[in-house]
Amino acid sequence: MRALILILPALVLTGCERAPMVIFADSSITLPDDPLDLPPGAGVDAVIANCTACHSPSTMLQQPRLSREQWLATVTKMREVYKAPINEPDIPLIVDYLAAVQQGTEGQAER
Amino acid sequence: MSKARFTRRALLAGAGAGGLGAAFAAPLLGEKLIDLGLPGGPSLRPLGPAFPGKGEMIVQRIRPPLLETPLKALGESVITPTERFFVRWNWDFPTAINVANYRVAVGGAVRQPVELTLDEIVSAGEHVEVVAVNQCAGNGRGLSTPRVTGTQWGNGAMGCARWTGVRLKDVLAKAGIAPGAKRVRFAGLDVPPMEGAPQFIKSVPIDIALRDDVLVAWGMNGEPLPMMHGFPLRIVVPGWFSTYWVKMLATIEVLSGEDDGYYVAKSYRMPAQPITPDEKDFPTVSITAMPPRALITSHADGETVRRGAPLTLRGIALGGDAALARVDLVGEGFELPCTLVGPDEGPYALRLWEVTIPEGTQSLANIGVRAANVRGAVQPDTLFWNPSGYARNVIERITLRLA
Ligand code: HEC
Repeated sequence: MRALILILPALVLTGCERAPMVIFADSSITLPDDPLDLPPGAGVDAVIANCTACHSPSTMLQQPRLSREQWLATVTKMREVYKAPINEPDIPLIVDYLAAVQQGTEGQAER
Repeated sequence: MSKARFTRRALLAGAGAGGLGAAFAAPLLGEKLIDLGLPGGPSLRPLGPAFPGKGEMIVQRIRPPLLETPLKALGESVITPTERFFVRWNWDFPTAINVANYRVAVGGAVRQPVELTLDEIVSAGEHVEVVAVNQCAGNGRGLSTPRVTGTQWGNGAMGCARWTGVRLKDVLAKAGIAPGAKRVRFAGLDVPPMEGAPQFIKSVPIDIALRDDVLVAWGMNGEPLPMMHGFPLRIVVPGWFSTYWVKMLATIEVLSGEDDGYYVAKSYRMPAQPITPDEKDFPTVSITAMPPRALITSHADGETVRRGAPLTLRGIALGGDAALARVDLVGEGFELPCTLVGPDEGPYALRLWEVTIPEGTQSLANIGVRAANVRGAVQPDTLFWNPSGYARNVIERITLRLA
């Protein structure tokens, strides 16, 4: 087994005190667009309006199949834990939409 | 490990709803999809769009980015190239950093709170390098049965890099730890958009924080950390799951009590004892150190291999929070020791292994690899199921068909 860590020479002895050897340069990144693509269906507008401020739609679409109760619990978690500003009357629309979109899938989750 | 069938989206017109989520998350025509073999689906994921500085990645989510490394790529080397390294953010993060204005605040239970520039961090102590696996606590969650909610990763939410930085304890010494310190907490620049939402802040016990190999790191594989990996500084805790490796480090806070923050007290926890899926209200513990794991990366589930021809399987393994001791191939009625090959970059690094299947082996059904570490931890045969799918390390099995 090799030594746990390699110790590199700490500081180069240059005239000036504590000369850092590491140069940082300003950095930026352009992330790809996040198309708000959701399958069409009743309630899709409610999901786009309430559920895409913090994350892409894939967050919802990639979940295993959930019951309406489990979707409702997820929406409640988004509101209570993550402070999602969800329009109350939209909640049944959101739950119905997400449950319906998964109808064709065989996936299943149990809690 | 999982079925790595590549499919053109054009072929998927009308493909079952298993592809629904992936197809809608991948609007570009002609985009490639990968099948992660998640039981019950949805299992297809797009291999785009391209992210800056990244090669082909499994795009679990565009915003905030969740990018998974295809298993074949993980098996190619001990050091995962940065452009193939997985990416995971809980909340949006800044897309531009001005280094002159960058400060790391060190406060809490300290003698003298300080705000350190990048130059002050870099000159806080010896520069240290460690090769270590960085693995998401939820790696492999999508393979749980029964399935659980959360990011539906296959097994590619991990990688191994060479990290360079200074010891956290040398940075802490700049402020001086006050007597009675219990934990050290880290916060990054990824703050939630909504008032009152929990910030992604994480803490480790003081004895972990003072370890000689726990770093405030700026280097990844010899280059500055890319933005998506936490430029300019991130915490490195070799042997522990990546949830503690806070990126875009902005605050280091010494705690004299327990951490009651959401991401330590409420989340990233698992049952203290094995439970059944219908159990509720069980005691939980934080997920911390990694258990050993091994994966076959040379062959995917369901592949056909030629009967009678020599067959060598290859893959990766990690010991977790202790060095890897051995890897064994386990099949139905046989076990074979695997040979560790390639460089040994220390106890926290990935290792490559290979094993040649003896001629005349009748069945390659349900073969898997089992890693053990020097502390005696061995991968179990059954899944330690937990409702958040954390710390998966059940032996992963595939079936190869002989033809
Ligand atoms: C205020 C921000 C915010 C809003 C708005 C929001 N979410 Fe979330 N959501 C989160 C965060 C944070 C996570 C965890 C992300 C991670 O782990 O990377 C999450 C995760 C999820 C997950 C994954 C499973 C889980 O529990 O982690 C689902 C499903 C989900 N959200 C659905 C929704 C739905 C449906 C809505 C609309 C009703 C919604 N979200 C609105 C913040 C938000």
